[in-house]
Amino acid sequence: MPVHMRRSIAVVLFVLLALVLVLSSCGPTPAPAEAPQDTAVAAPAATEAMPAEPAATEAKPPEPTAAPAEPTAVPAVAEPKVLIFGAEGEPTCLDPALQNDSITGRVVVQIFETLVKYDKDTTNIVPGLAKSWEVSEDGTVWTFHLQEGVKFHDGTDFDSTAVVKNWDYWANEQNPLHAAQVTDGKKFQHYPLDFRGFGADSLIANVEAVDPYTVKFTLSQVQAAFLDNVSMYYYGFWSPAALEKAGIESCKQPIGTGPFKLVEWTQNEQVVLERFDGYWDQVHAAKVDQVVIRNIKDNSARLAALKAGEIDALEGLNPDDVAVVKADPNLQLILRPSLNRAYLAFNFKIKEFQDQRVRQAIAQAINKQAIVDSLYGGVGMVANQLEAPSIWGHNDELVDWPYDPEAAKKLLAEAGYPDGLSQMTWEGGQPEPLVLWYMPVARPYYPNPKEIAEAIAADLAKAGITVQLQTVDWAVYLDKWQKGEMPFYMLGATAPNGDPNGALCTYFCLNDQNEPKVGQGYLHDVEVSDLLKQAGAMTDREKRAPVYHQVEQMIHDRVLRIYIAWTTPPLALSKAVSGYIPNPTTQEFFNTIDISR
Amino acid sequence: MLIGVSVIVFGFVRLIPGDPAVIMLGEQATPETVAEMRQILGLDKPISEQYLIYLDSLRHGDLGKSILRGDPVAGELLRRFPATAELGLSAILIALLVGIPSGIVSARFRNSIFDNSSRLVALIGVSMPIFWLGLMLSWFFGVKLGWLPTGGLATTQLTLADERITGFMALDSLVTGDIALFRDHVRHLILPAVALATMPMAIFARMTRSSLLEVLGQDYVRTAQAKGLSDLVVTMRHAMRNALLPIITVVALQVGRLLSGTILTETVFSWPGVGLWAYEAITARDYPIIQGVTLFVAVVFVLSNLVADILSAAADPRIKYR
Repeated sequence: MPVHMRRSIAVVLFVLLALVLVLSSCGPTPAPAEAPQDTAVAAPAATEAMPAEPAATEAKPPEPTAAPAEPTAVPAVAEPKVLIFGAEGEPTCLDPALQNDSITGRVVVQIFETLVKYDKDTTNIVPGLAKSWEVSEDGTVWTFHLQEGVKFHDGTDFDSTAVVKNWDYWANEQNPLHAAQVTDGKKFQHYPLDFRGFGADSLIANVEAVDPYTVKFTLSQVQAAFLDNVSMYYYGFWSPAALEKAGIESCKQPIGTGPFKLVEWTQNEQVVLERFDGYWDQVHAAKVDQVVIRNIKDNSARLAALKAGEIDALEGLNPDDVAVVKADPNLQLILRPSLNRAYLAFNFKIKEFQDQRVRQAIAQAINKQAIVDSLYGGVGMVANQLEAPSIWGHNDELVDWPYDPEAAKKLLAEAGYPDGLSQMTWEGGQPEPLVLWYMPVARPYYPNPKEIAEAIAADLAKAGITVQLQTVDWAVYLDKWQKGEMPFYMLGATAPNGDPNGALCTYFCLNDQNEPKVGQGYLHDVEVSDLLKQAGAMTDREKRAPVYHQVEQMIHDRVLRIYIAWTTPPLALSKAVSGYIPNPTTQEFFNTIDISR
Repeated sequence: MLIGVSVIVFGFVRLIPGDPAVIMLGEQATPETVAEMRQILGLDKPISEQYLIYLDSLRHGDLGKSILRGDPVAGELLRRFPATAELGLSAILIALLVGIPSGIVSARFRNSIFDNSSRLVALIGVSMPIFWLGLMLSWFFGVKLGWLPTGGLATTQLTLADERITGFMALDSLVTGDIALFRDHVRHLILPAVALATMPMAIFARMTRSSLLEVLGQDYVRTAQAKGLSDLVVTMRHAMRNALLPIITVVALQVGRLLSGTILTETVFSWPGVGLWAYEAITARDYPIIQGVTLFVAVVFVLSNLVADILSAAADPRIKYR
């Protein structure tokens, strides 16, 4: 027994030792590495390619080299200036037309440029790759005059042909590369949302190169937000040659005209950008040598990295951490101009809410100022309408309902609820307790949804309105909202661009049959909808603005929605960073940023 | 059996309420854009048809493509796996190297100060939420003391010229002779590995202690002691051998469970592995990724139990597989 027992122990010990070596993965002799395989190109092979249990095998899964561009060596002469930005997630796809999120947008906007763009921290349109433009009398033909001498990162020239080719890639489903991308599972996400559809459905009937530096867009119908739409980063121009070369790998090999070019994108870790020395606008050439955008998913972890000096800037702060940043002598807080709004919405299938007096009573019962003062971490403003003051559709003259619980009680009594309101009745249903739904996640417009909901409930209680609070997972919340299942709920949004029509129409425009929108709580106001549709068919801001002012007033007076707050989302930066100009759309250009070390 | 898992996974993932199209569009969604997006994403097909498509591709080892990014799931899984394996294996190693010896000492010196304090620590270790622990470690050692980095695989500047061979950064940096990167990487590995190791470490310590105590009370141990063998020999050679069996089983179970721990640990420490990926996929309802990761976890679980069985057989000749 002892002998064979000792042998078995030896076996166990040996296995353990082997484990330890594999485990620590720093054994003296490397495991045989398989041939490197390119990330996304290589469609993964058979099931046996599934990584085996780590402890049991010494076969290492193949690991691709992710660098799409040549790894540029850091210049040895002077210490390069590197800005490290902590992002809330990683980009999805660096081909501008194939993605739809602000985390990706932050990267894409450095690499690609659009015909026109938003100026600094405003939504005012200024020249981009087009130095000037004009629109025909009827508003359907837009002519853009392009900047000359613009080079793409691959050295080719930007001209009208590039515009036409890019537009064909986005809009034409028959375009070979467009079709190949779709077959490969990619999606041209934003184009149909902005221009109604692809091919014949597209609002853009024709894009034509008049001469090398003039492009003419013909629209099948006037679109008020046309310039705002083409200013969005989805419509940044590729070098046609590079696009053709990249093919369905376009997500990983972006080549534009922007002040930065891509060096490397290590998925789930970081994107490395480098100054493009051939940038056409030398006055606005990038000041830093490199920008590294690191993916740090958790808000607290991101702030920890900033405080520890591992990153220089970040977006996405917990509301409580605003004070932490303010108190830190090494950090600075920057507020992004507001393009968002937090609201309370009614479901008009609830009989009680069909009475305007009830809605007004609720509006007057809520002490918005107190909520904003105590729960927004100093980055909120009380809202009385949809558009924030920095946006041109904002109505300066609108005066909000005063906070007045007594008046609210009186209104309720007039509406037939002298003892207060605690129940709701779905059309065709039985009375049930009144429920206010609040969001399970913090969003820029509601940084503390639960606490805010509790404050609202407490305010309502003072006016004799009893609500139960309820919430559910965010994905389900959005789903219930789209299905019109929530009677009374908190929500909000950040607009993708500064045109008021998009934001207002999303909520208040009815379809061609003037049917109410399920996803907007069956909100149904034909007058408001008609006004918005009229304004949407005009191109002159001077004429459109009064219509939006009128619409905002109507929404307020009829209490179709209750707007609680606008916020200026905070960014935290190291004091070494200067020249960071936050744009309301969240898409700012990093070429203005400098860093002192 | 894995096919069975795939069926269950496919069904359950879709039972979770929430619609990827609505999540992608967020607060701007309208019925028209949601319908448009559902069509773009291929979610408008009947579930049964979606399932058949999935099964068919699964037969060819294709786990599908991410809804959000369009990347093939299997390829991404392989690419992200090394980071998770490094973290998980380091954690298990720490847990074994600390947990088992402290369990042995606890059992041998039962009710001593060491025993009582290590039991208390183990209790705390089992009950502590890993997310919170991770944040605390990162704040204390990363921000307050500044000893260790707060997250990531390695310092940004060092990875710029980094070349990947196996994907295991520790291995790659050694092979390429990049000692600076290796040291930097290990420094980054410490905090997440310790955070992840805490729970299994506590479990191993408690398991070792109770298992060893039981064996130490048996007659043959008394016989061995009566023979005049030293304490160390009795404990380590005679008692530990029998006590090892339940420990091996528990270790195997913990390896499987560790993968769920990596979801939280990787999120707190921005560790670019399978866990962080799964977390992002779950919040976005990216079905193919969730399915792929779940299948993968099932495979790891099965394999680690298989290894446990083999090790048990090696440790105890009475266990025979025919």
